[in-house]
Amino acid sequence: MIANDAPGVLAIEARNLRLAYGPRLALDELSLDVPAGGVFGLLGPNGSGKSTFITMVAAMQGPREGSLRVLGQAPCAALRARVGTVFQETALDPAMTAGETLGLAGRLFGLSKSAASARAASLLGEFGLGDRANDAVAKLSGGMRRRLEVARALLHEPRLILLDEPTTGVDPEERRALWQGLRERRGQDCTIVIATNDLAEAETVCDEVAFLRHGRVVVTGTPAQLKRGLGREAVRVRWATAPDAANAAAYGWEGCGTVTRDGDEVLFTVENAASFVPRLFAMAPGPIRALSIEPSSLEDAYFQHVGGRARDEGRT
Amino acid sequence: MNGPGAWLTICERDVRAVVRSRSQLYSSMFTPLLLLVFLGSGVSHGLEPSRLPAGGFTAYMVAGVVVMTSLFSSTFASASYYRDRDSGMLRFLLSSPHSARTILLGKSIAGVAIGAVQALVVMAIAAPLLDMGWQYGVAAGMLVVAVTVVTLNLLLAGFALMLAARIQTMQGFHLLMNLALFPLLFFSGAFYPVDDLPVWLEVLAMVNPLTYAVDALQVAAYAENNEAFVGLWVDLPVLACCAAVAFALSSLRPPRLTWSGE
Repeated sequence: MIANDAPGVLAIEARNLRLAYGPRLALDELSLDVPAGGVFGLLGPNGSGKSTFITMVAAMQGPREGSLRVLGQAPCAALRARVGTVFQETALDPAMTAGETLGLAGRLFGLSKSAASARAASLLGEFGLGDRANDAVAKLSGGMRRRLEVARALLHEPRLILLDEPTTGVDPEERRALWQGLRERRGQDCTIVIATNDLAEAETVCDEVAFLRHGRVVVTGTPAQLKRGLGREAVRVRWATAPDAANAAAYGWEGCGTVTRDGDEVLFTVENAASFVPRLFAMAPGPIRALSIEPSSLEDAYFQHVGGRARDEGRT
Repeated sequence: MNGPGAWLTICERDVRAVVRSRSQLYSSMFTPLLLLVFLGSGVSHGLEPSRLPAGGFTAYMVAGVVVMTSLFSSTFASASYYRDRDSGMLRFLLSSPHSARTILLGKSIAGVAIGAVQALVVMAIAAPLLDMGWQYGVAAGMLVVAVTVVTLNLLLAGFALMLAARIQTMQGFHLLMNLALFPLLFFSGAFYPVDDLPVWLEVLAMVNPLTYAVDALQVAAYAENNEAFVGLWVDLPVLACCAAVAFALSSLRPPRLTWSGE
């Protein structure tokens, strides 16, 4: 067994993973190293392979090709005892109470009845569900169900926590409560992997991220590293028409880093927006509907590496 | 947790779910009992069938309604594969450190337990009110009834597993269970003696495993002697063999415990 916090130790080591569902390639030579002990984000559009990768790491299905080691071992049933998973879609029995849900998980993951009960009570309290222990899952709100699923994933104190879009449909208050519970695990001999489409959330909580596209890893790095290649500021412009020539011209200007187009919106990453914007207005061939200036974000890096939805057209 | 602990945990959860679902619990038992009361007494008083091997028609039907209860219960219990798949619980169960076979075993044993207990409850309610033969005495007779009912439910659970491996939707599963099992019930001697059937139906009855369950229950509880019955020495081994074959066939191709059809 390895210690998660040992320097250089990998929680996940994936090499050339390949898996297809019928004619659709879900993972295409995916290779990725996830260091132990931090929060790692998997970012990518729907269908990019995030959930498939999560189920593989959770030892619930194997790759057709390639190799995978999780917490130092090949995926197997025994590995699942060291992993806690929150799935993209709800995986709860609506007729069971919150307390019973955790009790069942505790027993399946090898805790004694008393240990499971004590730990369940502690986690329900930690995730703000202490007074709902005897309520049926069907009576809980969407956010509460999500918190219950996270609590369930933590019940057996896993060394690796896999969260597949854990905050989808969760309001900001619920989201804060959920992440508060998770953040406390950070660095406690525990690695957290989160698959999400919420780039702002990923930027806030992840130590390192990987951008996935079409079942492959496009780029990995810390949010700071990924933003480093961009300009310091992001200028979003919505053109009334689609002046490709103007975009191309601006790309050549000094201080302009990248130009990414997503529909009628164009994102310029620039060194200095104060000098860039007047110049853009001066040469604009048509009206500009909207313009905003923001610091460069992980979202900007995402669009640079992964591209907009338009580039996904034609994919399943 | 080892394998036995895991399947017991899953079994306990499924049993608890049925106990909690009062409508399922009561309808599985009351429908056969109502049939017994209305059809049994109606036929007894109205048609007065004279070719029964022993007492009245209502008493004759007790074995049939016990088998019918098992059919209802096992159908409902087996549908838990689909309910768990649709609610996402199956995904969670598969993320635990236990094999798909252990999970299936837990769910099958739950189906057997639910079906057997409900059938025995129906027998326990009906038998004291009717003029039953109990040729081996009540205690020994109830033991035979219990063994028969458990074996029958093992057979039904194995059959349900086979179907679940091939049918994608709960609606399809219910439809096929009803289509396959209820005709078998009618040709089993549950509601009328198979001796009176046309030859081709009598042949069908003889290759019908439910016939042997009904016969064993009638021998144990209804009959005053073994005349006109197949007999326990044939009934119980045939049922056990059929149950073993059903489980063996279902293990060759167990239901795919996956989610969303991937």
